[in-house]
Amino acid sequence: MSLVLSGIRKRFKDRDVLSGIDLTIPNGEIHALVGVSGSGKSTLLRIIAGLETLDAGTVTWEELPLHGVPPHLRRITMLSQSPLLFPHLTVGENVTLATPNRSREEAEVWLTRVKLPGRYDAEVHELSGGEQQRVSFARALAAAPRLILLDEPFTNLDPGLKSELQRLIRDLVRELELTALLVTHDREEAMLVADRVTLLETGHVRVTGTPVLLSETESTFGDFVELGGAFYPSTEIDVSTEPTSDSLVLVRPFIRFGHHFGEYRRSTGEYVILPRNESFEVGKTYYLRQKQGGI
Amino acid sequence: MSRILVAFLIVFPFIGLFLTFPTSFSWDEAILNTIAYVISIALVNVWLGVGTAWWLLFTESRWKSWVEWLTFLPLFIPVLASMFGMYIALAQVGLIGTYTGVGLVLLVTTLPYSIRLAYNAMYVIGRPLLEQALTFAPLARIGFVLLPLLKESVRTIVLFSTVIVLSQFVLVQLIGAGLIPTVTTRLYQAYAGNDVSQALQNTWVLVSLPVLFYIGLGGIFSIWIRLVKGRLQ
Amino acid sequence: MSRSSLWLSLVVLALPFTGVTFLIYETVGFNWSELNDEAWRASLAVTLYVTLTSTLLSLMIGTWLARTIYMKRSSWLASLLKWPMFVPHVAAAYLFYLLFSGGFPVYGLFEANERNHLVVILTYVWKEVPFVFLMVVGTYGQLNHGYLDMAKTLQLKPLEQFRVAEWPFLVKPLLDSFWVLVAFISFAYEVPALLGVTFPELLGVLAYERLTTGLFLNAFESYAVALIWTLFIFTGVVASYALTAKQRRRIERGMRR
Repeated sequence: MSLVLSGIRKRFKDRDVLSGIDLTIPNGEIHALVGVSGSGKSTLLRIIAGLETLDAGTVTWEELPLHGVPPHLRRITMLSQSPLLFPHLTVGENVTLATPNRSREEAEVWLTRVKLPGRYDAEVHELSGGEQQRVSFARALAAAPRLILLDEPFTNLDPGLKSELQRLIRDLVRELELTALLVTHDREEAMLVADRVTLLETGHVRVTGTPVLLSETESTFGDFVELGGAFYPSTEIDVSTEPTSDSLVLVRPFIRFGHHFGEYRRSTGEYVILPRNESFEVGKTYYLRQKQGGI
Repeated sequence: MSRILVAFLIVFPFIGLFLTFPTSFSWDEAILNTIAYVISIALVNVWLGVGTAWWLLFTESRWKSWVEWLTFLPLFIPVLASMFGMYIALAQVGLIGTYTGVGLVLLVTTLPYSIRLAYNAMYVIGRPLLEQALTFAPLARIGFVLLPLLKESVRTIVLFSTVIVLSQFVLVQLIGAGLIPTVTTRLYQAYAGNDVSQALQNTWVLVSLPVLFYIGLGGIFSIWIRLVKGRLQ
Repeated sequence: MSRSSLWLSLVVLALPFTGVTFLIYETVGFNWSELNDEAWRASLAVTLYVTLTSTLLSLMIGTWLARTIYMKRSSWLASLLKWPMFVPHVAAAYLFYLLFSGGFPVYGLFEANERNHLVVILTYVWKEVPFVFLMVVGTYGQLNHGYLDMAKTLQLKPLEQFRVAEWPFLVKPLLDSFWVLVAFISFAYEVPALLGVTFPELLGVLAYERLTTGLFLNAFESYAVALIWTLFIFTGVVASYALTAKQRRRIERGMRR
């Protein structure tokens, strides 16, 4: 019951964009693909959507190969950097168009869920960029997808709007129990939105893991420093000055959890909490432990 | 496969050309008139087309949309129909049967296309890049920036105006009162007289002139750009 | 620099409008029932048929080619498509005349000059397809490909994908091309004069002949027809642009490049 990518290869002219990607994304997971531009992450997304052909490998959904299935029959929708609402339709008509039985009522429900109630008859250009992106998200959900692909959907937004939309998307995808794949170059964003993160580097999977990392061996530890692991914001954490057997390793050179910021000192392998309030002392080392019953 | 078929359909009509080759090429008045008109109309078209398009792109004038319509609308007026009216109008000022009269109406039929082509090209290039050109003195602006940037559109403008000018029979016949022979009017006479080889020779001229101008202009531009680059090094 | 060329352009472009004004002036007092004769009526019918057939065929083929060539990036075919643009209409008409009247394989398929004006239509389609192609391929070049991807992933059927992600952007260039071609083809002399028949004649041919034969005795008939036809097309242009204005403005404003 999952999206399985195996051995995916793609060449553009004389360059390997993807050289053998293996990845399994279980149903209901929000998974982030992180990488710099040119790492092949968007290409992988387009391959999953069926917008790009692949040179080798398979994409399967619940054990059925998607090879040869045209994009409009895959039940995979996409949200991209630009909202791309069809300008000749109203805001609501854009959503209605995507609903399987062209239902205005359904579209209005979706608009309400993305917090744009009553804007059905608005023209596309009357909406701000953030609002347009919300409509685009509603439209992507209205098409009844089993998998939703998010191709850097927050890139062109102001910081305030960005975190608002990040929360909206994460919560709605969770609530609808959809599977989502987020492509981003922003590690912090990946931590914030995703359940698991994959770091893509020049066409390879460098590492896959969860934003909350338990104490592990040095080698994975290094990987997660690269990955920019951080605590998921809703994770509750105990902080102590004494190491315990199940201490969490805080894995980002500069991380944020709650309202506090921490710094990893690679030389000593310690975490220094840079406090925003009086409960931490500046410069002192703290050890972190996930509370029982957390994620 | 269908692409091969399309290619065949495009090329097929050219077979007619190879029924005969121009054997005795005579440098006569008709050819001279034709070339003179083609060159002068093309030059004026490039000048007025680019200039007007530039104005349209940069103006803040409230007349902009009116001017836009005025430059666009003539494309929608049947040339021949308005030509009847222009015939009456030009007769009032004694321009019928003169080179000026014919030149003027040839300009009328070509200019709307040129303005449109130039405007579209500039629109695609975009204002920011074109504004860079404003920092140069007028001549340098044209030589160093405008021509290199617009070289393909200038070639297209010249091609369009050349082909349109070469297509005009009625216009030249009516406004020129039959006194101004061109290759086109010659073709009709040959056709009416059932002189296939004479008609074909004229057809050859009509087809090869635009080709020669297009290739020639391409050559001139590449030499020009090389010179400009040389001067900048 | 641009100001002086603007004024000169305006003076030149005012000429066709002056021409139309003079036509109005000349036809004051014209007995319009004179136009109600067999030749003009047949001419109107055949003109509409030839114009609409050639225009619509050119628009469809030109758009199809622009789309195919853009999608498949077939640059050799794109440059081949330029070829007909180098051929003046008169020369094209003569080439087609030769094809259908000489000893070519297509000889005998139908006559070069016959009542259905098939070769006239063929010539126009051959000449105008590259023009439509040029108008439309620019639009495809500037079209944000994301719209198409979006339509596909929104699980729309192929025809619907075209309808929502391509058609709205094609309306403007196709409307422009439609009227340019209709204005041009419906009242021209050169091509139908070479390839047409003496009855029924296309409007442009008949009008020119009535104008120039018999010491301009029938000139007023031609002036009247030219005027009506210009106003007819003008009305069509204004109506179609007015009807689509709202939609076009919407698209222009809401579009993401």
